[in-house]
Amino acid sequence: MAFITIAPPAQPGSADTSTVPERSKASGPTTAPAAGLRRTRFASLRLGSLRTVFLRTLPSHVLLIALAIVSIFPIYWMFVTAFRPPSDALSINPLPGPLSLENFQYVLKTIPIAGMLANTFGMALALAASQLLVAILASYGFARWDFVGKKALYLLFVGSWLVPFQVTMIPNYLLVSQMGLLNTITGVVIPQLCSAFAVMMLRQHLEAFPKDLLDASQMDGRSSWRTLWEVVVPNLRPALAALGIMLFISAWNEYLWPSLIMQKSDALIQVGIRGFLGAEGNNWGAIMAASSLACLPIFLIYIFLQRYVVDAFVRSGLK
Amino acid sequence: MRPLRSIALTIAAGTAALALAGCSGTSQASTVTNQIPELKSDQQVNITFESYNLAQAGVWTDTVKGLVADFEKAHPNIHVTAQAPQGGGAVGSNTVSSVQTQLLAGHAPDVAQLTFDSLDFAATQLGAQPISDLVGKDAVDQALGGAHPFHPNAKHLADWNGKTYGIPYVFSTPVLFYNATKLADAGIANPDLSTWDKVEAAAKAVTAKTGKPSLDISCTSIGGNWCMQGVFKSNGAQVLSDDRKTIGFGSDAAIDTVTKMAQLSKDGVLRNADSNAQFEGLPKGDTAFILTTSALQGSFMSAATKGGWQLKAAGMPSFGSKPAVPTNSGSALFVLSQDPAKQRAGWELIKFMTSDHAYEQISTKIGYLPLRTSLTAAGGSLYDWAQKNPLLAPNLVQLDRLQPWVSYPGNSYVQIDDILGKAVENVVYYGKDAKTTMADAQKRAQDLIP
Repeated sequence: MAFITIAPPAQPGSADTSTVPERSKASGPTTAPAAGLRRTRFASLRLGSLRTVFLRTLPSHVLLIALAIVSIFPIYWMFVTAFRPPSDALSINPLPGPLSLENFQYVLKTIPIAGMLANTFGMALALAASQLLVAILASYGFARWDFVGKKALYLLFVGSWLVPFQVTMIPNYLLVSQMGLLNTITGVVIPQLCSAFAVMMLRQHLEAFPKDLLDASQMDGRSSWRTLWEVVVPNLRPALAALGIMLFISAWNEYLWPSLIMQKSDALIQVGIRGFLGAEGNNWGAIMAASSLACLPIFLIYIFLQRYVVDAFVRSGLK
Repeated sequence: MRPLRSIALTIAAGTAALALAGCSGTSQASTVTNQIPELKSDQQVNITFESYNLAQAGVWTDTVKGLVADFEKAHPNIHVTAQAPQGGGAVGSNTVSSVQTQLLAGHAPDVAQLTFDSLDFAATQLGAQPISDLVGKDAVDQALGGAHPFHPNAKHLADWNGKTYGIPYVFSTPVLFYNATKLADAGIANPDLSTWDKVEAAAKAVTAKTGKPSLDISCTSIGGNWCMQGVFKSNGAQVLSDDRKTIGFGSDAAIDTVTKMAQLSKDGVLRNADSNAQFEGLPKGDTAFILTTSALQGSFMSAATKGGWQLKAAGMPSFGSKPAVPTNSGSALFVLSQDPAKQRAGWELIKFMTSDHAYEQISTKIGYLPLRTSLTAAGGSLYDWAQKNPLLAPNLVQLDRLQPWVSYPGNSYVQIDDILGKAVENVVYYGKDAKTTMADAQKRAQDLIP
């Protein structure tokens, strides 16, 4: 860019000339006025180009700011409503207040939210871990070896991703019921052990994995199994972390399937939140307070693992 | 994603319905003709009770669980597992699909709370057991009677083909709630809101003062068909003929009814809002009137107290001199078990959940209408409560004119209801031609009648 080539102001008699360009040095004491002129010209150039850049990027920035506000506003509104007294739940004042913890107290009194959060955390962790494990093994197989029917098998994986969950919901429910796993977290996890999306994503990462490393590992005498765990997985750690977080978040947000399987226990937070929606009106204050609490684990993940989360969501779409 | 999910859910429910339709022959064939034996005092029975009230946290869950605990104390040999329906959807909207799914897996709840619109389906497809066959008609009559009997119009709301399939449990009627303070500001004191013309005149006065539509009618929105049936009946229209074979959405009386409702919209007094926005319109002060379920009384009362305005209630308005015919929303309790011991235990639970004690709890804690209405009369255990809740009066008076919420025949009863809801909305709120829209809805709905 233009402004990075600007010469710094030359100080007559200054001992430090290291920053003065070679040409200025060669021209001796006459350089000061020339440099000043050039500086003015460059400065105006810089101003001009800055203005051009500003004007050119202004619409996109306005759009991005507007989109950011649209995205953040519901979260902001959730907290604002949660921290209002229940009688002000329907207030449309955009500013927060009056401050009250009544909604949180009601939620804590009405539903076992700590247990629900712990159970949901356990379910999401189990789901994310099992899906990640299956994805590592499946994508390694797809990327490492060529075998008959590889394409067809991969297409089947992709195809299973395209089948809406609702189509398989009832057969899966019957299967879980026959296995005697209703009302257990295992019952929620088993039919979702494999995430076709995770397999597809990891396969793309593994396709880009340097073959030389795999060959070197083989020449070192490692088996395929050891190569996977000692060479591939350590090198894929950032991608695996990103994918794991993404799987965890989507498992955390699951509602329909867990509510089918966990019918006899009010074990999950999403079911707990639903309890404040009713045929005789919704308790918005309590819904927002419970939702705020339900968001906390995801917020914590986001705060501490922000880089991986952004990687997960941005790169998964671009790779 | 939501529309996709709901479509898929409908498909799944439809598939389940078809599968059940195949099974229904066996369940009907196995209908018990002999009465089920009484339980021995030491006979231990475990039953499952599915109630949509348990899907709602707070007083709803606490009251039902409290009653179940009371029942278990009174019947130590019967253990009840109380559960909410599965899956998503609004409270009360997925009761049948939940039972269907569990039925497919071979473990349907032994007792279920089902809404009245699914009565036909429950009796003919879902395997609900005719209670009057199981325990005898006398036992049913005895249970519905007692010192404080069921209101005569409530007794047989879940009867089917001369048999009692369900015992009415909780329901509401359409009540016109209004903000008396807002009306007074518009110069109307002690309004007479007995007819639609009078309601329109009052609403016009409030609208002229506030500059915005002041009336909400939840009957004319999707999901409000239970009370729209009452609006139709009040104007001499029927959604379904008495022989249950012909849909009547396109009749002259039905067209006249929706045209009159549409006029309220054209005159700028009827607000176009979805049901949730409607429920919040009166508490927020956006509207001054709402014709809706009496079950909302509690939330309106607390909003009025906090907002410093006076809440009043009137009965459902009539069309001129024709009497208004309110219909009921709500649900009944059904026995679904095939096992005689569980059926008997289920019947004991149903009797308990519809007893004087249960209605004392349900009415005072949740605010639902006590179906044993004399409990609210002088000397009754709910007398003091009724005195403290004067808004209850129009609701109780309406029971004398109550007609049942009609359930459509066949497996597509939900779709038929949906067709009517959309057609009414299109005419009332979106200015579609009443005659062609309602005739088209009638044709499409008729095609779904078996």
